[in-house]
Amino acid sequence: MTLLHRPDPFVLGLLLGVVVIAAFVVLNERVGVVGGFADFVERVTGRRSALGWKAWFVVGVVGGGLLFRLLAGAPTFRHGFGWLTRNLDGGLVAVVLVVAGVAIGYGAKTAGGCTSGNGLGGCATGSRASLTATGTFMATAIAVSFAIKAFT
Amino acid sequence: MTRVRIASVLLGAGFGFLLSWGQFIDPDRIRDMLLLRDPYMWEMFATAVAVAFVALRLLKRARVRSLLTGEPVAWSTAQPERRHVVGAAIFGVGWAVSDVCPGPVAAQVGQGIAWSVPLLAGVGLGILLSLRREEAPAKTQPASRAARAPGPVMPASNPD
Repeated sequence: MTLLHRPDPFVLGLLLGVVVIAAFVVLNERVGVVGGFADFVERVTGRRSALGWKAWFVVGVVGGGLLFRLLAGAPTFRHGFGWLTRNLDGGLVAVVLVVAGVAIGYGAKTAGGCTSGNGLGGCATGSRASLTATGTFMATAIAVSFAIKAFT
Repeated sequence: MTRVRIASVLLGAGFGFLLSWGQFIDPDRIRDMLLLRDPYMWEMFATAVAVAFVALRLLKRARVRSLLTGEPVAWSTAQPERRHVVGAAIFGVGWAVSDVCPGPVAAQVGQGIAWSVPLLAGVGLGILLSLRREEAPAKTQPASRAARAPGPVMPASNPD
């Protein structure tokens, strides 16, 4: 098994679960990524005076991607950017990604978390709000994906 | 504070490494998941939540204390509100269109994927719009009403 091949999903799930647990054992905090991005936005716009722990967590996620790339020797990424670059011109892809990013940032911040904060951390605590949000964004994403498939 | 920062970076690095190893950062993998063509991501996600769900309860029952805060491991939970459904639905649309969510965006930046830049810019703009919307009612509230209902618009139990 090399880093360019996915590990068994149950092994990877166990390891990601350990990260969620470790965040509580070390910091007594719930993992979350959009909260880290929000820390940066709040810092840049003068809404907070210092970066919170989640911003540093995001710095680590970026570093983890870089570390993986260095150790694997190649990106775990196929050519292009999924269905977007197969169906749209480059300029339009960038515009669509900005708009999709706005929906991701606005929606996740409003819902109090993304797939990490609500999906992993929130569901692991048994939060009904996180379970509701996770069920909603997964059902929506599945429905929209099938709609995109029907039109492409 | 420095110890908290170092611990946060190390935890994030582990998270980003695992997201990369599981190929979460590849939009085609997420598309296969959302089109229900590949059970891999669902099996991984369910395992991660189940492991953490059980372990957190065992930690709480054993009254384990957090290494850096010294507090007993604990968490708050929130009841569902309209914003959880509306926000999650909007997020779900963005996730399905881009086939990337915030964690993988950060890992993509680390792997040097150029397409993560416009997506990241959009995420930042979306967060800013959400912050401005949160702040707007507080500014327009009548003084008497604002005095009766001080405090943050969003509950403190936000997991984001």
